[in-house]
Amino acid sequence: MKKFVFPLLAAMTILALVAACQPETVTVEVPVERTVEVQVEVPVERTVEVEVEVEVPVEVEKSLVIYNSYMSDPAPREADAEQVRMFEEMYPNIDVVHSTVAHEDFKQAIRAYLTASTPPDVMTWFAGNRARFFIDKDLIMDISDVWEREGWNETYPAGFRAMSSVGGKQYFVPASWYWWAVYYRADIFDQYGLEPPETWADFLQVCETLKENGVAPIAIGTKYRWTSAAWFDYLNMRVNGPEFHIDLMLGKESYDDPRVLTVFSDYWAPLIENGYFIEDPAAYSWSEALQFLINGEAAMYLMGDFLRDSYPDEEEANLDFFRFPIIDPAVPVGEDAPTDGYFIAANAQHVEEAKQFIAFLGGVEAQQYFADNLGRLPTNMEVDTGGFTDMQKKGLALIQSADFVAQFYDRDTTPEMADVGMNGFMEFWDNPGDIADILARLEATRQEVFAEE
Amino acid sequence: MTREKRLSQLTPYLFLILPLIIYLIWVIGPMFYTFYLSLTNWDGVSTPDFIGLRNYQRLFKDPVFYISLKNNLKWILSFITIPVVAGLALAMALNRSIPGAKAFKASFYSPLVLSLVVCGLIWGWMYQPANGLINATLRAVGLGALARGWLSDKNLVMWAIIAVGIWRQVGYVMVLYLAGLQGVDPGLIDASKVDGCSGWLTFRHVIFPLLTPVTVIVVVISIIDSLRAFDLVSVMTRGGPYNSSSVLANFMYIQAFNNYKMGYGAAISVVLFLISLVFIFIYLWRVLQTEMEY
Repeated sequence: MKKFVFPLLAAMTILALVAACQPETVTVEVPVERTVEVQVEVPVERTVEVEVEVEVPVEVEKSLVIYNSYMSDPAPREADAEQVRMFEEMYPNIDVVHSTVAHEDFKQAIRAYLTASTPPDVMTWFAGNRARFFIDKDLIMDISDVWEREGWNETYPAGFRAMSSVGGKQYFVPASWYWWAVYYRADIFDQYGLEPPETWADFLQVCETLKENGVAPIAIGTKYRWTSAAWFDYLNMRVNGPEFHIDLMLGKESYDDPRVLTVFSDYWAPLIENGYFIEDPAAYSWSEALQFLINGEAAMYLMGDFLRDSYPDEEEANLDFFRFPIIDPAVPVGEDAPTDGYFIAANAQHVEEAKQFIAFLGGVEAQQYFADNLGRLPTNMEVDTGGFTDMQKKGLALIQSADFVAQFYDRDTTPEMADVGMNGFMEFWDNPGDIADILARLEATRQEVFAEE
Repeated sequence: MTREKRLSQLTPYLFLILPLIIYLIWVIGPMFYTFYLSLTNWDGVSTPDFIGLRNYQRLFKDPVFYISLKNNLKWILSFITIPVVAGLALAMALNRSIPGAKAFKASFYSPLVLSLVVCGLIWGWMYQPANGLINATLRAVGLGALARGWLSDKNLVMWAIIAVGIWRQVGYVMVLYLAGLQGVDPGLIDASKVDGCSGWLTFRHVIFPLLTPVTVIVVVISIIDSLRAFDLVSVMTRGGPYNSSSVLANFMYIQAFNNYKMGYGAAISVVLFLISLVFIFIYLWRVLQTEMEY
């Protein structure tokens, strides 16, 4: 018996090694299917003039680019697919192999994509810190030549260029961005004679009036926590200024700083304790909580402009937004305006095609399409803003008048800090009195997280 | 040994080569790799650095680990009591030819046809505080005071999720016991009746002891299922609010795939693996023993 076991194990080990050494390239097989598709069309057209048509299959030698996108919500998904179609029309020789991955799953899968030996060529991602992390690890390709060739150094605002650059080289194409603001039901405000508040005192007055009339002042769904981070971003920026806020995000300021405590105890806690938010927000996702706004059970919602994607079109006439109220007029105004864009993986297999594709995505036609059809704001200054809706113009003005633009809590700080931080916000929501303990724990995490980096 | 005899001894191994190789590469290999990863600070992108037992030191100081462990314990305790008792009771009640028995069996078993993700979604809607079926019903019958934010109250949320698990598990346990009851010799029951046993005494001293092998399997399966608990939590709350419904598997998932702490996540899964291993051994030992008996 024993005699067999050893050679058996040896054979298995060798086989395992051989199998492990074989580089697998699954994605590359896709073009084969595509070629077949094209060839099918040829004989159907004209069976008589066979000789003439012979040349057609030669043209079929298409090159391809693999594109993974996280635009999985219905409206962006459609716009994304349309962009791909536009590109394929402009460059008939390039096929885009396009996969859409659910937004949350994409965030988790990107590390596997990037470290694969054959990663997707072009991917969607967040500008700023979340991209910087991969750039520092040499996983994102330097595309300074694309920026140069396309003239983007002139047609993109300096802020967006800086957001895409590390060490003077460009790695990222910021393509679209959106603003955050307090959305509100204009009809409900009219009904109770309310004006969009500009100061904190006005805001509290609006909340009180709404509550007295049986309307929940503020809708929020904190099941996935990040909606609460928006409140922290804005309160901290309004009370302590954007510079302090960003330093806190980067781990340079501490969470047990008395200035952070003030944000919770003097501003956020009273909103919760006075019952200005809807009941049981933790039971709803952001879009489930939107129902309260649509039904008129709540009147305001601090949210990004993607709120309008999910808002029923026929009700949108009653929807408007205002700038998050100013708390201290002496403090510079900071706004959240998350920017999304594209990059090429450092190990991309189809570099030339990828550069052509990304040049298209950052170019005027694609951005114009995105802006016109989805209502996002373009980054490229050559995009014609003449056809913008009033909402878009108002959003653009909101951000242009800001002194500082942040991305968002979970984009400006590290994922682990964001996870612990957002749990802290939720715990504070239930027990506002425990905030000192909660902040002490956040501080312990901050020290651990940023010591490692 | 003759050539033929040798060959016949070799044959089963030849058949086993392929599955064994697959098993080694995709199951055993990654398992050991996870052990290794738990000793590193891998973030999923950089080259892993060996950091010894630091992940474990951190884990045993992490309050979320203890919350998760306690929640797994709640899960185990609920799972080895309520569904086992209820499943056995149902099996006893339905293991006779009363009209409609089949329909009852089917309806108790039907939740098992749904995947846990679907169960989580449906119950998530039912639990919604404002318009969910449960609170709406409570308010309709004048018990509005009992309406709660089932998934947003940190003291209730774990039990609310476990209740869904139990709802699904009862039918499963019932089927296992029904199968077990088929193996009980009716002669023994008749004999006990002849000796003047009441229904309860027959159950207590004849049927239940005969069902012991099934009970052991049911309990061990329930424990393993509780340790595996992930789907319902992930779908219904992702461990929230602020970790109050976190279980080990979910804790591991968040650390590894949300926070990109692959090393730390690996350490959590190693601990979870070691706990599960104890029960898996008991299970296998029982199963193998039963096989020997036949």
